Amino acid sequence: MNETLTDPVLIIFILGLAISSYFMLVNNEKKTSMLLISSLSFAMVGITSSAYTYIIHNKMVVHGSTAFCSSEGIVQCGSVIGDPQWNNLFGVPWGIFGILSFSILIFLSLCLYLDRYAKWSENYLNYAWWAGIAGLPFVALLVIIELTQVEDAPHICPFCTIAHISLIGYVGSIYFLKNRRNIGKWSENEG
Amino acid sequence: MARRRKPLVQKGRDDDVRIIAGFTLGSILTVLMLLIVMIAPPATIGPSEGELAPDFSADAYNGLNWENFQLSDTFDYEWEEGEEGEWILVQFIDTDCPFCWSEGETMSDLYSQWSGNVEFITITVELSITNHDSDRAEVQAFRDKTSYGTEESDGDGCNSGRNNCINRPGTAHNWNYVEGSSGIMKDWEVTGTPFLAILQPDGYVAWNQYENNGEDIESAMQRLLGDSE
Repeated sequence: MNETLTDPVLIIFILGLAISSYFMLVNNEKKTSMLLISSLSFAMVGITSSAYTYIIHNKMVVHGSTAFCSSEGIVQCGSVIGDPQWNNLFGVPWGIFGILSFSILIFLSLCLYLDRYAKWSENYLNYAWWAGIAGLPFVALLVIIELTQVEDAPHICPFCTIAHISLIGYVGSIYFLKNRRNIGKWSENEG
Repeated sequence: MARRRKPLVQKGRDDDVRIIAGFTLGSILTVLMLLIVMIAPPATIGPSEGELAPDFSADAYNGLNWENFQLSDTFDYEWEEGEEGEWILVQFIDTDCPFCWSEGETMSDLYSQWSGNVEFITITVELSITNHDSDRAEVQAFRDKTSYGTEESDGDGCNSGRNNCINRPGTAHNWNYVEGSSGIMKDWEVTGTPFLAILQPDGYVAWNQYENNGEDIESAMQRLLGDSE
């Protein structure tokens, strides 16, 4: 079995995704709260996995390799995060972009979680939706790069994939939240 | 008569939670940044002396064919100052630039003297000047000193079309010629050609031409590497 897949950090991230998904899919009388927690949880997994890819990037730049992730096989991050041609957008590593993007999503979800009845809550829900949607083309681009462009492609970077799934999960949570708002089930006691 | 009751509308909190959210996010980011700095601080990357040389991945001509080349693959990350190791000489040229044309001989001389403990890398770029268009055939001819004539029927020559590439000063160059780009030039802050830099075996810039106006490349090699083998 590829040793990357048994990496304890990766397992923790996968658990984070599983817990976030549970909050998104569970059906109880506090569904709106659950969805808000789910969006926050997905965004937290996303920001930490982005930070982790940035740590791997820094290790690879300075030391050429890292014990944090394998550089061999299809499932690995060495050839993806370590590729100077592709692991950047205008010279800035993707990990930094991930941290900044998920920061915005965390802020929006946290505001909604703390006060979902505020005057601005509907706007913030829409901002969260559009911000999440705006990230999806970048996810598609990065997956294409992994599969076709990096040296000896295809490769799948597991920690990058965690960040990608986090964004998709976030968009899913916000989608359900928007639905609840539209059908008048925003308050817990209406759900 | 029964009084009509106003519908129950949930009201938001009196305090603005966005400030709390902002502080919470700030705390999360601070913790993350501290962790990053503690576990793997970002390296100072750039072409200046003391900085880690900007990495690149591009096709390179090795005398037989064009293959992918990544600068960092030549780095010896275990190297420590004082130890023996293979240093790296990076040269930026435009095959149509007259100074690069004449520097061909200097590079041949340097290679004959230092090839035992220096990896030579030439990065070819195209300056935005009339008659400075070049293609892979011209780069190959420049490196190998093969015929690439001044007429359109046999190529458009090197040195802005003034010379057949076979007449380039110096011998054929037996090292990688990397296909450069404006991105690589930007990362290396190269404003004109030729440009030279010497890297330590671990990839840190030891000598940058722009920072050493009074010292030529031969003296710099001698100073940094000592006697050639």
